[in-house]
Amino acid sequence: MNGAVLESHGAESPARAHRWRSWWRQLSAIMLKEAKQVTRDPSSWIIAVFLPLTFLFLFGYGLSLDTTVVKVAVVREDSSQDARAFAARIEDSKWFLVVEAPNREAGKELLRDQAVKATIIIPGEFGQRLYSNSRGAQVQVLVDGAEPNTANFVRGYVGAIWAAFLAGRSMQQGSVANVPVSVEPRYWFNANAESRWFLIPGSITVIMTLIGTLLTALVIAREWERGTLEALYATPLTRGQILIGKTLPYFVLAMISTLVCVLTALILFHLPLRGSMLALGLVAAVFLFPALGQGLLISVTMRSQLAAAQLGLMTGYLPAIMLSGFLFDIHSMPAWLRAVTLLVPARYMNVSLQTIFLAGDVWAVLIPNMLFMLAVGTLFFGLTWRKLHKRVD
Amino acid sequence: MLQRLLAIVRKELISMLRDRRARMSLIIPPVIQLLIFAQAATMEVKNIELAIVDLDRGPAAAEIIQRLRGSPSFERLPQLPSVAAARAQVERENVIGILVLPSGFSAHVEAGRPTSAQLLLDGRRSNAAGITAQYVSTIVQNAGYALADQESLSAPAPRPEVVINNWFNPNLDYKWFILPNLVGNLSLGVALMLTALSVSRERELGTFDQTLVSPATPVEIALGKLLPPLLVACVQTSLYLVLVTQLYGVPFRGSIPLFYASVLTFAAACAGMGLFISSIAQTQQQAFLGAFAVLLPFALLSGFATPVENMPWWLQLVTGINPLAHMLRLMQGLFLKDASVASLAHSLGKLGLIALFTVTTSVLLFRRRAS
Repeated sequence: MNGAVLESHGAESPARAHRWRSWWRQLSAIMLKEAKQVTRDPSSWIIAVFLPLTFLFLFGYGLSLDTTVVKVAVVREDSSQDARAFAARIEDSKWFLVVEAPNREAGKELLRDQAVKATIIIPGEFGQRLYSNSRGAQVQVLVDGAEPNTANFVRGYVGAIWAAFLAGRSMQQGSVANVPVSVEPRYWFNANAESRWFLIPGSITVIMTLIGTLLTALVIAREWERGTLEALYATPLTRGQILIGKTLPYFVLAMISTLVCVLTALILFHLPLRGSMLALGLVAAVFLFPALGQGLLISVTMRSQLAAAQLGLMTGYLPAIMLSGFLFDIHSMPAWLRAVTLLVPARYMNVSLQTIFLAGDVWAVLIPNMLFMLAVGTLFFGLTWRKLHKRVD
Repeated sequence: MLQRLLAIVRKELISMLRDRRARMSLIIPPVIQLLIFAQAATMEVKNIELAIVDLDRGPAAAEIIQRLRGSPSFERLPQLPSVAAARAQVERENVIGILVLPSGFSAHVEAGRPTSAQLLLDGRRSNAAGITAQYVSTIVQNAGYALADQESLSAPAPRPEVVINNWFNPNLDYKWFILPNLVGNLSLGVALMLTALSVSRERELGTFDQTLVSPATPVEIALGKLLPPLLVACVQTSLYLVLVTQLYGVPFRGSIPLFYASVLTFAAACAGMGLFISSIAQTQQQAFLGAFAVLLPFALLSGFATPVENMPWWLQLVTGINPLAHMLRLMQGLFLKDASVASLAHSLGKLGLIALFTVTTSVLLFRRRAS
């Protein structure tokens, strides 16, 4: 390398080559120092391997929006054949675990004490009304609305059982099914609409944010607090060298932990990987640029580790969960908040990971997202650069 | 003993609130968080962008499109010539799905033959997609009924129906669910972080030995570290209580003393864990990491992110030791449900046991590490 430089630049180049060599030597010195500090600390290995593994294991099993079995109470006030048939359909369904309640009051009591999620009431005269032309039959459902998501599922399930019940009845009577137009949903990229398939890529993003942003948030704050930053300033190191030296070991740690996460997702949770490992690695590396930049920015802004930790919690961890599209769809947020999410690196990472895992290397999605991550990263590193004066005040 | 304990508490409070920046950081961020995250956390689906491929071009298809346009949930309904063209839009996440109205659709409806439309959805966002499917399905079915009624000349017979009443939260407003939850979640973070970094900071700065040589016993020092976060949690949750009920109109139906009893017990449980981590950690970075290793799973597996009932049974058992899971039940019961005192006392009792355990073990560990 140096030889090539010498040849092409003639008389001027020995000085330049020397500068370049000493710049590189200084950089490798601080990288070595930081790397030693990181690898010597046993907690680094916990971060890179143990933590991602445990977290993804827990979240992979624990996070699911696919309602499995909902406990409901059934109050049947009518003893007609139709009422019993409908109650039996509820009991036989795989969605509900039925508790029979003797009367309305008991059913409501169960709901109030959080013992069931819904109470289904089949009122008296249900059977008669079913055949009446003047008064329509009604089934009443009281749903625990405190958890709207579950409430919606209950509503959907009861609706489906009811439709099946009516269809069964009209079939017996020989008339046509009475739903004239229906919708057949089909899910691309995730045929069974398993929520795990989008929650696991989201979990990986959260774990990477934890390592990329939160650990680096303490790096320079620690030197401030201990007063060793002045010592670092006294060295011939430039700001750029300090930043690169401080960041690179964490970059490597985060990449290792990403690999651990991805392997866990593929092997344990059988996520498909429809894109390529190459795209995945590229996106992860690009994501770490703004993630590490954010951590460093926090670190140079806050003079104590406690303050840096709190700010990291607030601007790194919480947005990665709440504003990244991990749990809550960004499209449904109000416009001003969608604008705020533009600064959250995790949101770009989420879309990219979901796309690579489930859809494939759709560069039309990946490239704009990577560009945004680079832009946010440049902003964060630029601000850090400006804040990191090489002087003691 | 009490005097020495109070002196330690005072010292901790001073070091926590010593400058304006530190005081502000305990008040302003929590409020901002509550305001922002309350807006973010919704599982209602709004501003839906759905592509429509109308291969039918008949009156029934037109009626359905008309009704979709009339619904406030849909923001954009671009019409595309083919499924292939629409697929590219789905892949790029420009639309969440495609409603395909097949050719001959109107003819079937006119003839009174049951027919269906196809809805192709982006499975990467399967939850939002599923809810979108419910919306579209309801709209299309209703359009179908209306069209069928037009066709048949006789007056429509009353249709048997399911009447759904949502208790505790009649409009299924997601904010009513998320805000009581955020009260628990945010105070978890604060109580845990404050204690977790307390001892390790002193150890790192070298002031820990000074505290140890003071006349206070290690147990008193440990208790002195545990009490200030309880105070902070009380102040913060009081602020939340006012904001949540006054600004967002979420009802508070339970009793105030029970609310503070829950907050204090919960904060004690979290502070105990924090002190435990702090006693083990050598540096603040380790303590921070330890706190996160606890915070993240506790927060996500508490029923806040996704319901506890959806977890496998063994993980549901594990949530028994998660203080936040009990806290969320309490908060929901207090804010929305006016649940019976007996059912609340059950959760509060479990929370109390956890607090007792974490506080005792952390104080014992602290004493052992200090001597």
